[in-house]
Parts: sequence; structure tokens; C-alpha cells
Amino acid sequence: MATASGGGSEFVDKFPDEAAIIKASFLIAFVSLGIGAFFGLIQALHRTNVLRVIDSADYYTVLTGHGVLLAIVFTIFFLCGVFHWAVARSLDRPAESALFSWAWVGLMTTGTVLATVAILGGLVPNLGMSADVLFTFYAPLQAHPIFYIGLAMFIVGTWLAGADWFLSYRAWRQEHSDERIPLQTFMVLTTMIMWYISTLGVAVSVVFFLIPWSLGLIESVNPLLTRTLFWYFGHPIVYFWLMPAYLLWYTVLPKLAGGRLFSDPLARVVFVLFLLLSTPVGIHHQYLDPGIAEGFKFIAMTNTMFLLLPSLLTAFTVVASVEHGARQRGGEGYLRWLGALPWRDPAFTGMALAGAMFAAGGFSGMINAGMNINYLIHNTLWVPGHFHLTVGTAVALTMMAGSYWLVPQVTGRKLYSRPIGLLQVIMWFVGMVFMSNAMHRAGLAGIPRRTAEPQYQNFEFLTPIGSIFELRVQIALGGTLLFLSVVLFLFNILLTSLGEESDRPVDSYLPEPLSGPEGSPRILDNLTMWTGIAAVLVVLAYTLPLAGIIQNGGGLFGGGLPVPATVSAGVDLVLTTVTSAFNTLWGVVA
Amino acid sequence: MKLTKARALVLIAISVPVAIELRTVAGFFNVELPLIAVAVIEFLFLALLFVLYGLYGEGSESAA
Repeated sequence: MATASGGGSEFVDKFPDEAAIIKASFLIAFVSLGIGAFFGLIQALHRTNVLRVIDSADYYTVLTGHGVLLAIVFTIFFLCGVFHWAVARSLDRPAESALFSWAWVGLMTTGTVLATVAILGGLVPNLGMSADVLFTFYAPLQAHPIFYIGLAMFIVGTWLAGADWFLSYRAWRQEHSDERIPLQTFMVLTTMIMWYISTLGVAVSVVFFLIPWSLGLIESVNPLLTRTLFWYFGHPIVYFWLMPAYLLWYTVLPKLAGGRLFSDPLARVVFVLFLLLSTPVGIHHQYLDPGIAEGFKFIAMTNTMFLLLPSLLTAFTVVASVEHGARQRGGEGYLRWLGALPWRDPAFTGMALAGAMFAAGGFSGMINAGMNINYLIHNTLWVPGHFHLTVGTAVALTMMAGSYWLVPQVTGRKLYSRPIGLLQVIMWFVGMVFMSNAMHRAGLAGIPRRTAEPQYQNFEFLTPIGSIFELRVQIALGGTLLFLSVVLFLFNILLTSLGEESDRPVDSYLPEPLSGPEGSPRILDNLTMWTGIAAVLVVLAYTLPLAGIIQNGGGLFGGGLPVPATVSAGVDLVLTTVTSAFNTLWGVVA
Repeated sequence: MKLTKARALVLIAISVPVAIELRTVAGFFNVELPLIAVAVIEFLFLALLFVLYGLYGEGSESAA
């Protein structure tokens, strides 16, 4: 790992243009976080019937805003800032063109504004504009074209951001032909390759189907096709959120703990595995879709279970690195070393608690991924309970905690208050324990997700332990604590950025790993090869299901009744297409 | 090892999921714990922590 940046204000002094880009990204991320968290509070209180300030019909507008602003805008803008920092820091060079960097920030911001306007338009009935399609924006729900156009601009913006980092890497490579890719840059590049592959699905869905459909240019779409293309992207986006959190866990958390990363090669293996396995798994979100044969679902489940490997490797490596740090600080014994960790530091404590929560999220994710047991919890509150542990805590809490270390670096100002920061991360943890636990238990009782009115006439949900009332109180209490935690976070960050400049606002030095990249095979750095293998895996996992969905679902633009996409139907369509193409080509040649 | 405010806060945080899942764990052994019992157990834990902080926490004579 390159350790170029030593002093605290060095980054902002050394890379002022990059610091400005990162600050802009963080600003938009934090504004989205504030609005999205407020929407979350409204939902939590509305669903639990504690306080209703909106009509139930508007619940879905608020839910869409909550999902899009937090799961897409907050996370991705923040990770773009982190990646921009990581690439400049680890390559020890600025971006090739500041103008180009501002171009992707501008494009993503414009896309965000358009999509947000379309969503909020749903709260103004006379406007004739709405996008109540939820975060999972596939057909048959239809949004205003501006929503899809905004999302398309946002995605293209992320592509340009990736290009920016690849250009930096290319320029660095020309001067360092024999060196290993610095670890942080390696993590950024593998993540972006995965993102390029996975966003192809949503790009096709939005550009070729949803935008023309919402504009009235085409009459219908194939709903299962848009669902499948969404989930082709919808699961890898989980890793697009998670891999920046892993970047912080691998390269920053050990330093905060007082130690060093345990193994650089193991970190590289983990990121390569995510690149390979993140995309060919999306069908596990469609276990109950009638139009896809069970065999394809089984393959998706198998691939998903393989994804546990890099997460378990991460648990081992990160815990080993943190333990090393604790022992460097005088920690001893089998568990007593935990007491030697720097729990006063909100950046460390937040990331550590986020990691602990992720373990719980991983276990509930295994239930989601299991083809048979998924039927028990499919589309119940269990699912939001799960992803509030993963993206809502492992990712969001890591990002907030990481901000306490990163914001001082890019602003050159000391953190306003560490005690408030510590209280904030603890409050998030406790709030999420209350809310997520109740959501999981409510899901087991069969309470559905994505509804403002989860009551049925002449039917009462029952829980094996406790009562539904308790769960509602837990959700309302948890949601309130989470919102207060966000308020504390934004308050702390705002006052930090308004504070006085400091020569050394934070110790930004990142030490070398205990086991460096020297002893590991150079093939790990062969990004072209890993990209090729990832593409082949995607083709193997998706060609036949997509072919079957198109053939049995009435073609690309729908119109027919859904029939399960079977292997034979997929093979038939592929053979027909190939034969037709061959005959056409032969005709031209002959 | 001193019981600092930060360590005490983290211990309180960790105690919340333990308390919430206590009834589930007890259920595995066919023990039905009422909610009030869990509340009392958590309260007792917090009280113990408070006492320990007073005895061994930052600023206490023992810690000094």
C-alpha cells in the first residue's frame, strides 16, 4: 500500500482539486442522507401507526424517495468521493483532468435533481408528475420519464467517474511499469469493472424499454424482462455499496486500531472474487417469479452461496488486523485485547460496530439466498430488516464513521466533536438493533413489506415470542433513534467544515500491510483476465434465462402471458437466432 | 483496565441486542420470559455498569 500521504492536511494541500471534488461529492451525499433519513422517520412512524402526517397513498412516494436518495444517491456519491481520495492518495498523483472530474460530478448531480424532482412531484397532485415506483423501478409500475432520464444520467456519471480513475491508473502505469497496483487503487478498479458489467443491465432496461415506454413511444414492455434486467444490476449494486466499505475496513480500520493490514494478497483475492461473483446471482431475487424455471434459480442460489467466501475471508482478515492493532496497544489474552481498542474514536467504533452488524446481516442474507427457505420470508418485512443491516449499517455506518476521519483530511479542519461522533455511531447501532430486529421478527410472522397498511380484515398476525405491538414500538423507537443519529452526524460534520483550519487535523498515515503484495502471484493484478472471466460467467448465467424470458414473454416488448423460461426454450431461441444470423451472413457471402 | 466512558457506551450498545434476543434464546430452552423480565435484567445490567464506572471508571480514586 502506498503511504505517500503523511500529514493530516497534506491531502488538501497536495491535491486541492481532488479535495474539492471529494467535498462536492460528500456534500450531495450528506444532503441526500438528511432528506432520505427524514423520509425514513415518516415511514417508520406511519407504518407503526404512531404518528401519521401523510396520507397512506403518499407513503409510496416517501418510500421511493427514501430508497433512491439513500440507497443510490447517498451511497454512490459518498463512494465516489472515497474512490477519488483513494486513487489520488494511493497513486500519489492528481486526476488527469479536473474538468473531467467536475463533469461526472455535474452529470450525477443533474441526474439526482431530475430523479428527485420526479419523485417529489408525487406529493403535488396537480403537477401531473410522479415516480412512485420504489427503489426497484421495474415494470409494470411506471414513473415519469424525467425519473428514468435522471437515473440514466446518474449511471453514466458513475461510468465517467470510473473512466477518470482508470485514466489516472493508466498514467501511473506508464511511469511504474513493473510495480504492483497500489492496493486502494486495485480495490477501486476491480469495483468499477464489476460496476460497468452490472450496470449494463439497468442501462438496457432504462434506455431501451422504460424511457420509450414512459414517453409513449412503445405501448408495452416485457415486465419480467425489465425485472430480470433490474436484478441483473440490483444485486451487484449491493457490492458496489459494500466494496467501498471493505476498502475502508481493509486499509483504514487496521490503522485506526493501531495496527496494520494482515494480508494485502488476501484483500486482492477478495476483491477479485467480488468482481467475478457479484453479477451472475441476481436471479436469487426472483425465486417467486413465475416466468423463470427452477433450474436457473438453483444456479443463482449456488453462485450466491459462493459469495459468502469473500465475506468470510474479509471477516478473518479484518478481525486479524484489528487484533494485531489491539496487541500493539498492549492488549492481551483471548478476548481481553478487545478492551485495548480505541473505542473513544468514533471512526473506529463506528466501523467496528458496522462490521459486527454485517455479520448478522450476512446470516439473514443466507436465509434470503436459500431457495426453499426464502419462500418463508419473501416480500415480508424480513427483507428490509436484512438490508438495513447490510447497506443501512455495514455500509452507511461505515461511511458516516469514515467521514470522521476523511472529512478533516479533505477540509483541513479538525473534527468538531469526537464525543458527539461517538454518541452518534452508538445511537445508530442501538436504533438499528431495535428496528432491524423487529423487522426480521415481523417478517417471520408474515407481515408484508412495501405497504402503508399492513392490516388485513378478520386476520391478526401472531408472533411466537412477544407481540405485534412490541414489534411496532421497536420499529418506531429504532427509526426515531436512527433519525436523531443522522441529525447528530450532519450537525457534527457541518460544524467541522465551518471550523478553523488546522495543520494536522487527523493522522492520515496508512502503514504498510504485515504481508505485502510481493509474495503473491502477479496474475492477481491482471485486470483484463479477471474482466474476461467475469463476462463469461455473466453470459453463462444469463443468456438462456433472458432468451427464454424474451421468447416466452411475448418478445422484447411483451404482450404475451408469462410462461416459465426453461432451458429448452432458451436453447431454442439461441439456436434460432444463431441459425438466422448464420443464414443471413451466408446469403450475403454467397 | 479502566472503564472509560467510551467502553461503557460500547458495553451498553452491545447489551441491547443481547437483551432483545434474550427471550428468543430462553425460548430455545422452553423458558418463556415476559418482556418485563428482560427490562429488569437490562436495568440491572445498566445499574451494575453504573456502579462499576463509579468504582473503577475515569476519575474514580481506584482508577487513579
